[in-house]
Amino acid sequence: MLTLNGIRNAFFCAVAFSIVACASAPMPVEKLAVAKNAIERAEQAQAGQFAQVELTSARNKYAAAQAAADKKEADVAARMADQADVDAQLAESTARAKQQEQLVGEMENSLRDLRNETLRRNNSGATTPRQQ
Amino acid sequence: MKNNLIAIAVASTLLGLAGCATTPKSNATLDQARVAVQQAETDPTVSKYAPTELDRARKLLINAEGSAKQHGANDPNASHYAYLATQMARIAGQRAHEQVATARIKAGEGERQQILLSARENEADNAVARAQASQAQAEAARNEAVNAQSQLSQAQAESQRLAAELQDLQASQTSRGIVLTLQDVLFDTGRSQLKPGAERSLDQIATFLREHQERRVQVEGFTDSQGTNEYNLELSQRRADAVAMAIIQRGIDAQRVRAMGYGEEYPKASNENAGSRQLNRRVEIIVSNGEQAIPGRSAAGAP
Repeated sequence: MLTLNGIRNAFFCAVAFSIVACASAPMPVEKLAVAKNAIERAEQAQAGQFAQVELTSARNKYAAAQAAADKKEADVAARMADQADVDAQLAESTARAKQQEQLVGEMENSLRDLRNETLRRNNSGATTPRQQ
Repeated sequence: MKNNLIAIAVASTLLGLAGCATTPKSNATLDQARVAVQQAETDPTVSKYAPTELDRARKLLINAEGSAKQHGANDPNASHYAYLATQMARIAGQRAHEQVATARIKAGEGERQQILLSARENEADNAVARAQASQAQAEAARNEAVNAQSQLSQAQAESQRLAAELQDLQASQTSRGIVLTLQDVLFDTGRSQLKPGAERSLDQIATFLREHQERRVQVEGFTDSQGTNEYNLELSQRRADAVAMAIIQRGIDAQRVRAMGYGEEYPKASNENAGSRQLNRRVEIIVSNGEQAIPGRSAAGAP
């Protein structure tokens, strides 16, 4: 009987402990909102085109965070939300950097064309008076 | 009771782990975070352009290390913070890339302006050079015009001078050319030898012909009506020849000099008295107008 009581006690205590450890923490509503916001910013920065891997990872983790929150797993939800946030931030910064680097490439091309053009024009312009 | 307590503790811990931890991660995540943060730290553009993100990555790594030290390498928080540290280091790297690119674009815009500016300056220089060249051309044209004008003035002065010179020789302008008349006083009667008095007139004519290489000269001899026609023709020819020879001897090309004897033809006066006969005994020298040949007497009519 004592052993049975002990097992029962242990079971209740364990349940109580797990509730205290996991469920007592509030759901990371704010972290989820931050992550969602970060994903939206990444989408606006065209991460879907320029940083697809990072954006997908952010979305998956956000979904996991929500699922964890639904299951009242606050710690998991918080971690997943944080990771979704940094993934989204990385997606956004990667997309911005790539687009800016693309602009640099275009600018270098146009500068090169401009240099060639002015060089050609100067040469043809400069020879005209000397021919006289 | 003591055993029960141990059992409770073990069960709680196991349940707690099962309830909270995600799949346990190896310390590989932590290793990766260390590498990522170190990489970001050694990139000078990261510390320049993304110091805030780099700082966050460092702090997250410290958290991860702390959790790992406290709870072991497989502690979920250790892996979690390690992951965040890695991503934050990468974010720092991407922000730095973006800023470097932005700075390059800004510098490129400056370069663009510089190229356009120097192109405009160059174009202006070229325009100035062209203007200077055309100014020099205009100057040259003006000088040329002035030269031409002065040459024309010189030519006019020359022709006036020559006209004055020829005036001395009693020259007259006719449609055949300038006609100079040498009177018979320069020859002895019946002779064709020139007397020294003719020298000055012939020198002047030769000088004129040397200065006007294009002009030709025709020497025509005439007599009065005394004596036979044949004799007069022959005498007038000889006298014309003598004058022509005298001109040629003064260095004028024989090709430019012709001599004709007309005898008593084309008299200047009536032949009825000594005075008028003297007028008829003469040698006329016709200088062509420019290069054109001297028209014959019959064609042009008597002057």
